[in-house]
Amino acid sequence: MKQILRITIGLIISCLAAGTIMGSAYVFTAKAKKHNEHQKEQDTMLGLLGYGKANPAPSALKLYSIYRYVIDGKNAKYLGYMVPVKKGNDTGYALLVLTLDGKFHASHELKLSLEQALDASERGKALSTVLKGPAGFVYADETIVARMDGKRLAYLLPGHFQGYKTFIKVMLALDPGFNILGLEIMEHEEDPGLGGDIVQDFFKNQFRNKPFQKLKELDVVKQPLPEEYRKVLEVKKGSMSQEELQRVRAKYQDSDIYALTGATISSKAVTDGVKGMVKRFAYRVEVLDRVVSSQKLPVAF
Amino acid sequence: MFNGLLAENPIFRLALSMCPAVGISTSVMNGILLGVGVLFVQVFSSCTISAIKNHIHPRIRIPTYTLTIATWVTVIDLVLAAYMPAAYKEMGIFVKLIVAFAIITMRLEMFAAKNPIIPSFWDAIGMGLGFLFGMVTLGAIREVLGSGTLLGFDLVGDKPLLFFILPAAGFFVVGFMMAMFNYMDLVFKRMKEKKG
Repeated sequence: MKQILRITIGLIISCLAAGTIMGSAYVFTAKAKKHNEHQKEQDTMLGLLGYGKANPAPSALKLYSIYRYVIDGKNAKYLGYMVPVKKGNDTGYALLVLTLDGKFHASHELKLSLEQALDASERGKALSTVLKGPAGFVYADETIVARMDGKRLAYLLPGHFQGYKTFIKVMLALDPGFNILGLEIMEHEEDPGLGGDIVQDFFKNQFRNKPFQKLKELDVVKQPLPEEYRKVLEVKKGSMSQEELQRVRAKYQDSDIYALTGATISSKAVTDGVKGMVKRFAYRVEVLDRVVSSQKLPVAF
Repeated sequence: MFNGLLAENPIFRLALSMCPAVGISTSVMNGILLGVGVLFVQVFSSCTISAIKNHIHPRIRIPTYTLTIATWVTVIDLVLAAYMPAAYKEMGIFVKLIVAFAIITMRLEMFAAKNPIIPSFWDAIGMGLGFLFGMVTLGAIREVLGSGTLLGFDLVGDKPLLFFILPAAGFFVVGFMMAMFNYMDLVFKRMKEKKG
């Protein structure tokens, strides 16, 4: 009996000590980690738009986030879009509630600034104050609209889909006509050396400049990547003449995605995932734009 | 200290932590990153266990070891993510794997639990370096044969034997390396006998 007590107490004490150490390490590092992740996301987005250290983004470039929620009403489900709106000189948020078939249902003002909206718990608080009754809501996804000189420059879509092993997290950039501007793999756990090669330039850059029409029926082909195409995909700035680049890009613009050697499933997963993301987004943004213009909402994006 | 490097090399002589050794060692860079991670965790855990060895009830020593390793792995993971995002980007997935490494538990049980802090520290360094050495060797062989590159630089031009990147080939390479180490051992023994 005495032994049992000693063992139990010993284990409890070690667990408590370990827990305290891990907990305090988490508390000390959480803020820096979050900051890093946000920074990384921001850098990736600007990178996809063609801005980097060498050519910094102009101050006219503005990024607005739209958050989509699924709202559980009393009798039916609704879609809630949290959209940035102009309030005088400032920008705040409003909630647009749509029925599932894309009809306008309700709209609410939200007490939420652009900075506060970055924090998921602040958004939740603002939502629960306007949604009365037993309405629950689930966060679905985020879309970032990049604007410059009074026009939409690009859409940035963070998203994830099933890969060969676990989820592949990506960031996709589309131009206003839903043609792909670029693809970046944020996180994945595919096999190193095989499916892991989805992060390589010669794979992910194949998606760049794919037109929306082609994208709808994009597939993978199990053929070796042509050498001249590979050179263009991996090109560094200035090492190839513009005409040559244009020529090869135009030649392969409507080709399917060349699968990675030994990793057809990963290649197919990325292709289908990107295809699905773009198709769904194109539908959603059309519905949203229609509702916004019919409601004459002064949106900022 | 140098015990771990050759005579008791964790991968080739003790045959411990085979699972990560086979799974991860597809390139030299992977080998280096995992090796460095193991080195740090091994050193921190060995010192901790050695410091508190008199207070551990012998019946629950294994859970305590696991707990210690898990704590250090988590702390290293969090600190890397927060203050060295560039390094974390490369090492992140490997660090979390280290919790279940046999080599670390085995060194805690065999050495750190019976010796004072300073010898434990050196033993941990030796074992960590031994593991690092093993991983780099395996990684180099498999990367050259499988991908035709070394540290990412193209040597051959294409992938000569794709088979060597697959997990099964890891066992072949480990097997051959073990045979080589055993053969070297034999040769040394014979030389000694002749002299004696």
